[in-house]
Amino acid sequence: MKGIKVAGRPLYLDMQATSPVDPRVLDAMLPFYVSRYGNPHSRTHLYGWESEMAVEAARSQVAALIGASLKEIIFTSGATESNNISVKGVMHFYKEKRRHVITTQTEHKCVLDSCRHLQQEGFEVTYLPVGSDGIIDLERLRREIRPDTGLVSVMTVNNEIGVIQPMEEIGRICKEFSVPFHTDAAQALGKIPIDVEKWNVSLMSLSGHKVYGPKGVGALYMRRRPRIRVEPQMNGGGQERGIRSGTVPTPLVVGMGAACEVAMKEMEYDDKRITALQERLLNGIREKLEGVVVNGSVERRYAGNLNLSFAYVEGESLLMGLKEVAVSSGSACTSASLEPSYVLRALGVDEDMAHTSIRYGIGRFTTEEEIDRAVELTVKQVEKLREMSPLYEMVKEGIDIKQIHWAQH
Amino acid sequence: MAASAVAAPTRNEVLWLYRSLLRVARQFCDYNIREYTKRRTIDAFRHNQKLTDSSKVAAAFADGKAQLEVAKRQCIVYSLYAPKVKSVMDVKRSA
Repeated sequence: MKGIKVAGRPLYLDMQATSPVDPRVLDAMLPFYVSRYGNPHSRTHLYGWESEMAVEAARSQVAALIGASLKEIIFTSGATESNNISVKGVMHFYKEKRRHVITTQTEHKCVLDSCRHLQQEGFEVTYLPVGSDGIIDLERLRREIRPDTGLVSVMTVNNEIGVIQPMEEIGRICKEFSVPFHTDAAQALGKIPIDVEKWNVSLMSLSGHKVYGPKGVGALYMRRRPRIRVEPQMNGGGQERGIRSGTVPTPLVVGMGAACEVAMKEMEYDDKRITALQERLLNGIREKLEGVVVNGSVERRYAGNLNLSFAYVEGESLLMGLKEVAVSSGSACTSASLEPSYVLRALGVDEDMAHTSIRYGIGRFTTEEEIDRAVELTVKQVEKLREMSPLYEMVKEGIDIKQIHWAQH
Repeated sequence: MAASAVAAPTRNEVLWLYRSLLRVARQFCDYNIREYTKRRTIDAFRHNQKLTDSSKVAAAFADGKAQLEVAKRQCIVYSLYAPKVKSVMDVKRSA
């Protein structure tokens, strides 16, 4: 890359952006990239039949991981498409009676943008605030539900801070008021146990490439009883029960199915390891550095996501300094902008701390040695930057920097 | 197939599978996959050590054999598309 010289490929700690494809997944996919290239919708020859069988097998693998029936799974291009179908599709379908949507301020951009789109069409949207731990207030949710509320959309695991929302409780409230409940579970799939029955969700968005599967494929869970209906975004050949026309990409779908099956077998093992690695990372950094804050709830979070803020350090400089560690300051979608993350702002994180956040994403293939190296490099870089920082010097001298009145510029 | 799945493998067969898996693991050019395959193999065998039910032992053995085939194939695939620059974790170790 231009201007950047590194000794080797950086160690990868950005699992929330995307995860590497598991070799077991690739092994399942490759046959469908070579000889088994049939269109799964072809009903007149073997090529079609074998592809269709593989797609249906994948459908049941995905369904098994979330406790659904295979008839409730629709394959899409990814969680963004699933979120769009859910939010806009449900509201468009029930638009005569339902004019109101409830979501949270910390949702993924694609849910927020879909909501914004609905607002332009005249729907009303309530953006629930979250506490400083990143979790919504259930009483507030209850209060906001109106007779014309058509959808509640709350993500399971937050992509930036890894906080897990109380899904069962939200599901219970939605059931009480008979409001459809949608959740974006892209970051939760294969990482925490998911049960669509227990959570009472009507719609669930899933992604392939966050569970060591391929990019470009996702799934949408749509409840059959009571039946939830949506207006399709894509019209055409009527594939996927008319919800998502377009040829189903057999290799990708097979990959997503294989990824779900591996995740089901490995969830317990992975979770134990990832939890241990997260502790190692946090303790390692905290041992050597003061002024390190975990963003979001510490108890109710997915261990593979550790979002930290380093006081008195400028986030971009820290990211640039960590050349040998592939991490990000938050979501990959917004990583090009220098603005602090809207998720951290919704948590009420101070502007200066929101600017210094780093998200460490730990995954199935992360090693202890990588964590130790990441700790070593982070500590070194933060110490170096703090040494240069006049703010840090002032704090050490006992000046409270919150009391300083900065001149306008 | 069904008949062979019931018979529990001998001690030698199990050792052969263990060594074969570790050998393939070492051949992966990707740092993370190499370490994972090693670790997962060791942990799985340690976990299954306590198995006494012969049908369960046979099932675990069959599963391990299937994994060995996957690892052998993927080891080749990974080597075909190995990036020119190695992982920083491999670079420092050799230096």
